[in-house]
Amino acid sequence: MIKTLYKISLLALLACTTVSCDDFFDVNVDPNSPVEETLELNAKLPAALVVSANYEATMLNQIGGLWGGYWGTSNEGINAFSILKMYNGPGIRDTRDGIQLWESNYNNLLYYNKILDQAVAEDARFYIGIAKIMMAYHYFTLVDFYNNVPFDDALHGSVVLHPKYEPGKVVYEKSINLINEGIEAIKVASLLPTNDDVLFKGDKVKWTRFANTLKLRALLAQSEVPGQAAYIAQEISKIKAEGSGFITEDAVVNPGYLNTAAKMNPFYETYYRNNAGVAVANHTNIRPTQHLIAKYKEYNDPRLAQNFVEVKGDFKGVLFGENTISDAYAAVNTSAFKGPTENGNKPAGFVKAFNQATVIISLAEAHFMLAEAAARGWVDGTAETHYKNAIQASFNYLFNVTNYDISAYIGQDKVKLEVAPNKIERIVTQKWLALTGINNIRAWHDFRRLGYPYFPNSATATSPDIYPLRFMYPETEMNTNSANVQKEGDNGVLTARVWWDVK
Amino acid sequence: MKFVLYRIFLSISFICIIGLSFGQQHIVVKGKVIDQETGVPLEGASITIVENPRSGSAVTGSQGGFLMKGHVGQTMRVSMVGYHASSLALSLDNKDLLIKLERNINALSEIVVTGALGIRRSSREMGTSAQAVDNEALNLGKVVNPLLALSSKVAGLRINATDLTTGKTDPGIQIRMRGTRSLNRGKNDPIYVVDGVPLPDITRINPNDIAEITVLKGANAAALYGSEGVNGAIMVTTKGGRSDAGEVNFSNSTTFANVYLLPPAQTLYGQGQNGKYSPVANESWGDLFDGSERDFGLPINGVQPRKVYAAPSKDNRLGFFDTGITMQNDLSFSGGDAKSTYFMSLQDVRIKGVIPGDKSSRTGARFNGSRSFNKLTTSYNVNYVFFKNNTTSDGPWLSVYTQPANIDYKEARNWEDPTSPNHPLNWYTPTAQTRNPIFMADNNRNTYDQHTLNSKVEFTYDFADWFSATNRTGYYLQTQDGRVTNKKLVSNISTRNINGTVNDTGGTFNRLNNDLILNFRKEFGDFSTKLLLGYNIRMDNRKDIGIGANNLLLEDIFNPGSRTGELSGTAKITKYRSMSGYGEFTVGYRNYLFLTLVGRSDKVSTLDPQNNTYFTPGVSTSFVFTDAIASLKDSNILNYGRIYASYNRTGNVTLDPYSLNLTYSQTNGFPYGGLFGFLPNLTEANRLLKPEFVTSYEVGTQLSFLNSRLNADIAYAYSDSDGQIFTAGMSRATGYNATLVNAGRLVNQTLEVMLNGTAIRKPDVELSFGVNFTYTHTQAKDLYAGDSFQIFRQAYAIKGEPYPTLQMSDFLRHNGQIVLDKNGNVLLDEKEQLLGTMVPPYMFGFNTNFRYKAFSIGLQIDSRLGSWMYSEVVPRMYAAGTHPETVKYGREPFILPNSMVKLDDGSIVENTSVYSKGDKDWWTKYSNVQTITAAKADFLKLRELYVGYTLPAKFLAKQNFLKKASVGVVANNLFIIRHSSNEIGDPEALYNQTDGYASFRQIPTSRSIGFNINMTF
Repeated sequence: MIKTLYKISLLALLACTTVSCDDFFDVNVDPNSPVEETLELNAKLPAALVVSANYEATMLNQIGGLWGGYWGTSNEGINAFSILKMYNGPGIRDTRDGIQLWESNYNNLLYYNKILDQAVAEDARFYIGIAKIMMAYHYFTLVDFYNNVPFDDALHGSVVLHPKYEPGKVVYEKSINLINEGIEAIKVASLLPTNDDVLFKGDKVKWTRFANTLKLRALLAQSEVPGQAAYIAQEISKIKAEGSGFITEDAVVNPGYLNTAAKMNPFYETYYRNNAGVAVANHTNIRPTQHLIAKYKEYNDPRLAQNFVEVKGDFKGVLFGENTISDAYAAVNTSAFKGPTENGNKPAGFVKAFNQATVIISLAEAHFMLAEAAARGWVDGTAETHYKNAIQASFNYLFNVTNYDISAYIGQDKVKLEVAPNKIERIVTQKWLALTGINNIRAWHDFRRLGYPYFPNSATATSPDIYPLRFMYPETEMNTNSANVQKEGDNGVLTARVWWDVK
Repeated sequence: MKFVLYRIFLSISFICIIGLSFGQQHIVVKGKVIDQETGVPLEGASITIVENPRSGSAVTGSQGGFLMKGHVGQTMRVSMVGYHASSLALSLDNKDLLIKLERNINALSEIVVTGALGIRRSSREMGTSAQAVDNEALNLGKVVNPLLALSSKVAGLRINATDLTTGKTDPGIQIRMRGTRSLNRGKNDPIYVVDGVPLPDITRINPNDIAEITVLKGANAAALYGSEGVNGAIMVTTKGGRSDAGEVNFSNSTTFANVYLLPPAQTLYGQGQNGKYSPVANESWGDLFDGSERDFGLPINGVQPRKVYAAPSKDNRLGFFDTGITMQNDLSFSGGDAKSTYFMSLQDVRIKGVIPGDKSSRTGARFNGSRSFNKLTTSYNVNYVFFKNNTTSDGPWLSVYTQPANIDYKEARNWEDPTSPNHPLNWYTPTAQTRNPIFMADNNRNTYDQHTLNSKVEFTYDFADWFSATNRTGYYLQTQDGRVTNKKLVSNISTRNINGTVNDTGGTFNRLNNDLILNFRKEFGDFSTKLLLGYNIRMDNRKDIGIGANNLLLEDIFNPGSRTGELSGTAKITKYRSMSGYGEFTVGYRNYLFLTLVGRSDKVSTLDPQNNTYFTPGVSTSFVFTDAIASLKDSNILNYGRIYASYNRTGNVTLDPYSLNLTYSQTNGFPYGGLFGFLPNLTEANRLLKPEFVTSYEVGTQLSFLNSRLNADIAYAYSDSDGQIFTAGMSRATGYNATLVNAGRLVNQTLEVMLNGTAIRKPDVELSFGVNFTYTHTQAKDLYAGDSFQIFRQAYAIKGEPYPTLQMSDFLRHNGQIVLDKNGNVLLDEKEQLLGTMVPPYMFGFNTNFRYKAFSIGLQIDSRLGSWMYSEVVPRMYAAGTHPETVKYGREPFILPNSMVKLDDGSIVENTSVYSKGDKDWWTKYSNVQTITAAKADFLKLRELYVGYTLPAKFLAKQNFLKKASVGVVANNLFIIRHSSNEIGDPEALYNQTDGYASFRQIPTSRSIGFNINMTF
């Protein structure tokens, strides 16, 4: 009995003394993941930038491909992307089966906001600048899809549970201010990022030029809005005063893509081939529209053969939104994206290699924007020069050379800007041809803004003049912030417009 | 003669021991009290000396042992509630006594239940409710999972299978006792306690090993468990050996299961689009089936396959399913003597699922033993279970219900023939979601081997008849090795391609749980007191690792070593610690009035040290008025009656480890070689989290009438859980997806009524029945910032509404009529509709047993009423054109009956002329209106039916080998009556930890029928 009693008390003692109570409970430090406080800025920045690039490459290209007149689906892809093909607003806003554009952009904004907070605390100005500029980039995307969105109330976690929506115009202005502040911060930065800046490797000038270009994009977006001229002029003058100008090379992200699942260039992996070199489903599902091919042909455009595969001696496309199976639309009878496998293992047009960089803003787009701005009299230089530079940049990028001879192409009356009856329409038409497969989403935005270049709407649409105008507020927002959503009233895909869409 | 000799002997002894004692000789009697029928040791039996009641009494310990002083010649009386008392004269050779008590069937109401910590208590002293389910009732339906076997047998307890009824081979369980206390869907389970040891899970326990399950209802009954008992406790007592005779049992049960309640599909239109046939389309938007022979798919080696374009009369989808077979073989041995007992069992369960290729097996062994040494009693249980599972994913069934009605899935089984149209490279449609489902099932395999070791060592030392100490150590170890594979397939049409993948996982979980319990009992005149003090230590450790390769090079080598690209892998370690001290003090007055005080202090590792200690108090009382009030005594009408009440305030921490800090991880392909990049977790962390508290009250009464032929148990319980720790989803504009908060309040009110009785009790005929009814009202009171909270998809917590509430988008309506736009398209109402609760407020269980001579019939009927459900299968069937609604208007433009039209000027008028297009586009958008996927979830089902024949004793009389034998037919889910609005499926079959939600992944329910044989040697 004494022995047992002894044993029992020993056990009890063991429990409370040898394992000191503090040690015993001190197991709540996550052994699996680092916490916020232990990570340096250079551990956070690359991830945020890569996520921005991923969404540009896949989500935005997907929407823009279908809603910008570039892509349709083959017979095999008849059920694919049906929410976009049907302009099905409630389907798009659905949390699981829809497109989480709102969610991903705000999450991405949080990543930058966390970097911003830490950078402010550490007085790391360069990181402050990058965070602000990239936040502006995401806010522009949000407004372009949803119009009124939270800005001041956003990104405060549970401190502001029901962020109020601010007018799209105000969010644009505040985002442009973010860019201005970002430029200021970068200019005075002393600590420079290095390889962690997967966009410009800590180059101040390149970042400033990128910021100016992004700002120009935001100013052009409001070109048609009455009463904005003074504001636009004021902001353009700031760009001029700043003096660094605009990007002189493609603004691309490349973290060092690897030939491994989920580590490849996201566009390549989503639309072309996997790391075993096997074609992915989208490579069968997605085809260029007949309209895109017709336009390339109309301009005798060599980029057609660089971007797409020839089928039985010709290039064949599909009808966007067509929901009847027909031999003409079978994958084998239509032109697929051309990549290295179809190009003698050399980089093709927009599909080059598993490790090709992801384009955030292309040099071609920058020049087209400058051409338009020049045509509008906003910036110095002639529209023609910028227009030529833009086409040059596009051909250089797609043909993987530094000086593609575009003289024949640009010499055509159909291409020449000088003879264009509507210069801006010609600029934007060439921009449309240049950006396919790179930044598809610009096409839809330009079409909503200007009404051209024309492309057919979905074959299932009830009338030929019905085009999608925006995204509905997402289901997650209806579930968690419904009072603010309801204040916005109509946000139908076919009925409500974003603030700069006034045509 | 013997007696006389004895007396003489005694006298001589007396003479020899001069003067030391007067008259009689002191002896110490040691013994053990067991149940005569089952041989189970009886704890809490009281032993008194009739001649000298003031000398005090002894009470049997946990293994039924006792120690009593007396004089030779005195009479010792052994009594226990629920049993006939037994007396015997003390003599000198009364050493290791074995006293068998016979059950008193007239005292059914005074059951002894397994209380918290596995301590057996008389129900009369409990101020809370508990309900016991014995081995026989538990195994009526020969269900493999013991939790499912509890379904509808206990008032206040709701059990849903997520997989058994959906045909997969390893059922998931949702269990809710007295409503829902936590807004965290996964944190509403009761504590599972097996032989006194809390376990994380009991689904692997062999139901045949279970002597009894006692359900301690709510936080009140399980107060000694503190936080873990906040949702009640399921107390499992496994079988022990009998102290007298050895016994060998063998049983076999084989059942056959078939799917039923498939969502209806149209059989008029076949493959194609816009009313045109297409040989390669997977959707049913083609033209009418006409019986003609048509091209089917693409040519194979230049030969065009042809197929008759007609739907068979029998639902073609049934061809996809197999008949599921469940075979259980059980063998057990038990025995013992006065000092030791043992029970050993072996079980083998083989399940063949209804999806081709799905199978599982469970092989387990248990050894329970006990041994007494003087004042020390030891017991040890070891249970080892090897579970193997091999299933496919959700893809095949989804493929089946979205394909046309003329596809022959029986024929599709010969897919391996490369020239067959069923070969994956030749299948008529190249769409990835609608491959040959048989091939999909064969190609994607999810296997795992799971080893569960569950052991317990217990020492009890009886220091004195009023004080004993028990130390109980439980060790639970579960390891799981898993592998998911997809076989590589490469085609020139890339939508047919499948990446060869392999993912290997390994997981280990272990738990060390130790309880040190001191038990004191003492009687003071009319008062009896019991004091229990305990101390608990818990250590949980988990490690999960996984490595995978997403691109295997070879078709047949499933190893990450034969891959292209980098290896992917993860590892995760979690640790949890807690320490608790607890106590319970019970005082009884004349054995009819009891008061119990409970307290427990917990300290847990998952909260910040500032907030991690909390106290849980409770009080309860019980009053047996039929014993207290003289005029009620010995009444034949009301022979037993008591009332009871309790109050508790239970602290609770539902937080997972490592939730206090915002963690970062590498995703999106990081690291890229030398470049690393971290992103934050999208659930906002919160250091300030505190324990949540659940306040609960309970009142109840227990009544027995007509000599306990009719027993009633009625309880009302109220619980209020406030300041809950939960992951609250929030606007993504906050940056995060969710946040961890102390917020939200849920109030549960439950009324439970149990009736059981014996209508006929004659030697040849016996008819007994049991009815239970539960009303549960769970209401969301305060929520986190706002009046509405999304829980999971359409399930919401809405202030003032029942929880969870189904909220859905609806058509724009005018006085109830659907309003279309001027083009005949559906319009959505900007405000979502509240349909109602998604958990059944009314639940009925009815069981009856009828025995006539050697034949017996037992059945269990279950009905749950008053809730809503919805199905995600519905919109997918619309889009695929397989939904019957899509053919209602002949696939032509039509005027939607009883609809209205919204004109350009905003006015709404009766629709007399606006045609709706009625094509795929129109119906798809129609099906995006969520209310069309909802139905009332009311049902009544015959859950279990058993018809048996027991070999009469006279046939067995001539031999000694076979002691008992019986054969029977057993059936589960034999029929169901559903609400007319419900064509979705079985309302009981849920998806994971959801309520009223049928996922698009959900396969139909099965019903089963089979036979079983039991033999006792």
